[in-house]
Amino acid sequence: MPAPRLSRRNFLQGCSAAIAGLAGARLTNVAFAQSDSPADTLVVVFLRGGWDALNVVPPMEGDDRGYYENARPDIQITNLLRLDDRFGFHPALAPLHELYQQGNMAVIHAVGLDYDTRSHFDAMEYIELGTPGSKNAASGWITRYLQGTGTSAILPALSTSGAPSSLLNYVPTVNLNDPGDFSQWDNGLAQSQQAALRQMYNGDTLLHRAGMRTLQSLDIVHPLVEQDYKPANGASYNDDELSHQLKTVARMIKLDAGLRVATVDYGGWDTHEYENDGNGGYIAELLGNLAAGLSNFYLDLDSGYTDRLSVVVISEFGRRLVQNEDYGTDHGHGNVMFALGGGVNGGRVYGAWPGLRNDQLYDHADLAVTTDYRQVLSELLARRLGNADPAAVFPGYVPSGELGIFHAG
Amino acid sequence: MVRQQTRINRRDFLKLMGAFAGASAVVTACAPKQVPAADPTRAAPLPVDMTGAPPDPILPSVPLGIIALNRLAYGPRPGDLEVFNALGSTDEERLRVYVAQQLAPDSIDDSEFEARYAAAGFETLHKTHEELYYDHIANNPYDSNDDTYWEWYSQPARELVDATFLRAVYSKKQLVEVLADFWHNHFNVYFWQDEGVPLLVSYHRDVLRKHMLGNFRQMLEAVATHPSMLYYLNQNNSSDAGPNENFARELFELHTLGAENYFGVRDPNTIPKDANGIAIGYVDNDVYEAARAFTGWRVDDDIYEYEDGVEKTGRFLYYKPWHDRFNKLILGRYIPADQPDMQDGRDVLDLLANHPGTARFIARKLARRFIADVPPESVVEAAASVFLEYRNEPDQLKRVVETILLSPEFKQTWGAKIKRPIEAAISMMRALNTDFTRLPGGIPWMCSMMGQALFERRPPDGYPDVKEAWANSMSLLYRWNFAVAIAENWMDDEEQKRVIRTDILGQTPAQLRTAEALADYWIPRILNRPLSGPDRQAVIAVMAQEYDPRDELPQDHIDWILPAMVEVILMSPDFQWK
Repeated sequence: MPAPRLSRRNFLQGCSAAIAGLAGARLTNVAFAQSDSPADTLVVVFLRGGWDALNVVPPMEGDDRGYYENARPDIQITNLLRLDDRFGFHPALAPLHELYQQGNMAVIHAVGLDYDTRSHFDAMEYIELGTPGSKNAASGWITRYLQGTGTSAILPALSTSGAPSSLLNYVPTVNLNDPGDFSQWDNGLAQSQQAALRQMYNGDTLLHRAGMRTLQSLDIVHPLVEQDYKPANGASYNDDELSHQLKTVARMIKLDAGLRVATVDYGGWDTHEYENDGNGGYIAELLGNLAAGLSNFYLDLDSGYTDRLSVVVISEFGRRLVQNEDYGTDHGHGNVMFALGGGVNGGRVYGAWPGLRNDQLYDHADLAVTTDYRQVLSELLARRLGNADPAAVFPGYVPSGELGIFHAG
Repeated sequence: MVRQQTRINRRDFLKLMGAFAGASAVVTACAPKQVPAADPTRAAPLPVDMTGAPPDPILPSVPLGIIALNRLAYGPRPGDLEVFNALGSTDEERLRVYVAQQLAPDSIDDSEFEARYAAAGFETLHKTHEELYYDHIANNPYDSNDDTYWEWYSQPARELVDATFLRAVYSKKQLVEVLADFWHNHFNVYFWQDEGVPLLVSYHRDVLRKHMLGNFRQMLEAVATHPSMLYYLNQNNSSDAGPNENFARELFELHTLGAENYFGVRDPNTIPKDANGIAIGYVDNDVYEAARAFTGWRVDDDIYEYEDGVEKTGRFLYYKPWHDRFNKLILGRYIPADQPDMQDGRDVLDLLANHPGTARFIARKLARRFIADVPPESVVEAAASVFLEYRNEPDQLKRVVETILLSPEFKQTWGAKIKRPIEAAISMMRALNTDFTRLPGGIPWMCSMMGQALFERRPPDGYPDVKEAWANSMSLLYRWNFAVAIAENWMDDEEQKRVIRTDILGQTPAQLRTAEALADYWIPRILNRPLSGPDRQAVIAVMAQEYDPRDELPQDHIDWILPAMVEVILMSPDFQWK
């Protein structure tokens, strides 16, 4: 048999036809399961770097507005979009303001990690492992949620950037940025090579399991590799790091392969310098991307998917009340979270407000935490994710009552 | 006071990344992994449901030379194991000699690499720090829309990436390369940090490589006074009027004591003191006080010529008008007011470099690189004692590394780690005798698809060094794709005339004609050991396709299939352990 010497370009062109032909066979092999649970698909958007809660949802008026303006003479946000009598959105969040007004989005203020740290890395680890004060957990909070409820879905968990600690040791996680990138390069011998790899990766170490999962993921994602994606409802994703990931999540949700959780990362929030310049600057750019990404994602999925969608936006901590000398803010404490989805009792700002007077601040410096972030996630678990025992997900934690952020199923 | 606006904004940088880093520079901010460290001084951990995966089984041991060449080097090139085995009559002796050679890099004949380096024709890497600043920053007027500006601005750092791959693949001073990677991650500076990108060259060369077998205290001051670090962690703007705590915090948390010695937001008086009255760990107050101690440590970078007493040399500058002259209390040590120039900061560096917590943190991190993701406490303690005992010696760090490499634990932990993506990529090129001089851009791009673009870790913690961070489907898939791209010779950059070649057929003895014979040649050629029976059969099956394993194969079949068979060996789990 004469073997053609294929260039990669030639091969990739030929490949799409081959994949189209293979797709049917592959799909029967993996037997797509319908979602085996009435639970929502959870999307966790983690904003790395510590976003500045007080410039995302600043106080609108009253004494706290005064403390805020005094503390931030050069970087205060004006022209807020009204949320209630007390708070408004940074104007760059206009697209999300619409979702808020429509009742599909809630804000939780003065929320966060109730543990004394201003370290990015500690705070992220505590939040994602779900064990404040301890980094010894062998699993993340999402790992324990998924293991607790069990699932036979083909694609239970997706991470679109890296390997977050919230999914630590959850082996079925598929990790990919973009279905278009998730293909095996080969010189016409992929099937044969994959057969060898299936033998070699048949073992019980972390590496073996990851290799086998990679092979399975190739089967799952293959049908999407060469397809153009047309978002629904005229949604249009920008060309930035966040929108790219959210588009991938939307595609994977629409695959109906039982996706239960997707994690998305968006970095760059460590605004020690030049945070704000007349409502422009770093934070406006970041918030603009966040708002555009999330609103288009929501619009795209408002085609039969949002009833069973819960999105939470979280970051490791907020920032200092007082601006620093470089028109930025240093690491702080209390923070703000967003929740979006069909199950959200939206259009409200939740959480007890501690105030910004010096003696009301954490360590006389930062917004205090009045709502543990686990409170929000416990309500989400109970109301939307079919898990009535948050203690199994957050060991040692007992929620205090219910803020009512989500309604039942 | 009014500070000038940052000259280069983020959007400009993203644009530049797009221009030079390949089609889809995927910027990931993956969660940093902190390996849990037993530390009795911390609050008792909460009871946590250990529902995670069971610990990996220990792999059967392999000859010591394979362990050494995969940990002290970026994997063996053909013939390397034989050279190692000729170094002595016992494993102990061979390792001792090999480590001694590698820790005396100046005595190693590296002419093959040096010839390649000369042929590569780098144009900026010979420049001094001052020349880099003068040529590429001070005399390169900023213009965000001018490609010539961007190319000239970024050329030194881009050449540094190329040269680093070249060294890692071809230099015989392999331990030097592994350590340079370790220390760049430890004292991480992001390639595209907003200011001073060309200075990454002098940071890597004059700070990290210069001191990494030397004295930690000296290295620490070299780091703390280099413009790359001053810019990256906002120290350059930190003044008495508004201290910026970013550098001070990461100095404690990432560079010296580590998060394992952080007691959080607490009253410093509640932290226990050691026999010398030094706090056994740090709290936020120590970070703030240290930030004050470092005020005025900045770069001499008055490009627009408006600051009194500041020039534009690009050197470190102690700027007294910005220094907070009042007294401080750091780790329980009283630092008086009005000390001589730089003394406050130097006192902080002394406290940190001599601290037992720093010794353990650095020892554990080195042991994590060379031994296991969670290294045994015995080797951590041994290396930490050496760190403290030799803290005033010029070869302190060399002794610490030597202690780890010659420890019993080093020999007993095969498979406790997997290669990180860059290590996997480089080791493939080494195993296949791949030939290049100027690196095509596709190679670093592939590493970014694996999640580890060289020098492009944005947060200051450096890339994770534990397998959980890398055993994921996207990263693993591009590791496999890298094997294919290299073996099939798909990575040439025709526009830049950069060629990379792997001649698999040329390295295969012509008399080998059957699938079995070809597999049995290439498996030990790459792995230096056999595969299990079923895995060997899987490799043979790829080579044989429709033929019988013992059939003589037609030449066109061998031409087409042999690279694919080699790829499978490189993709195997056995190639990933170290």
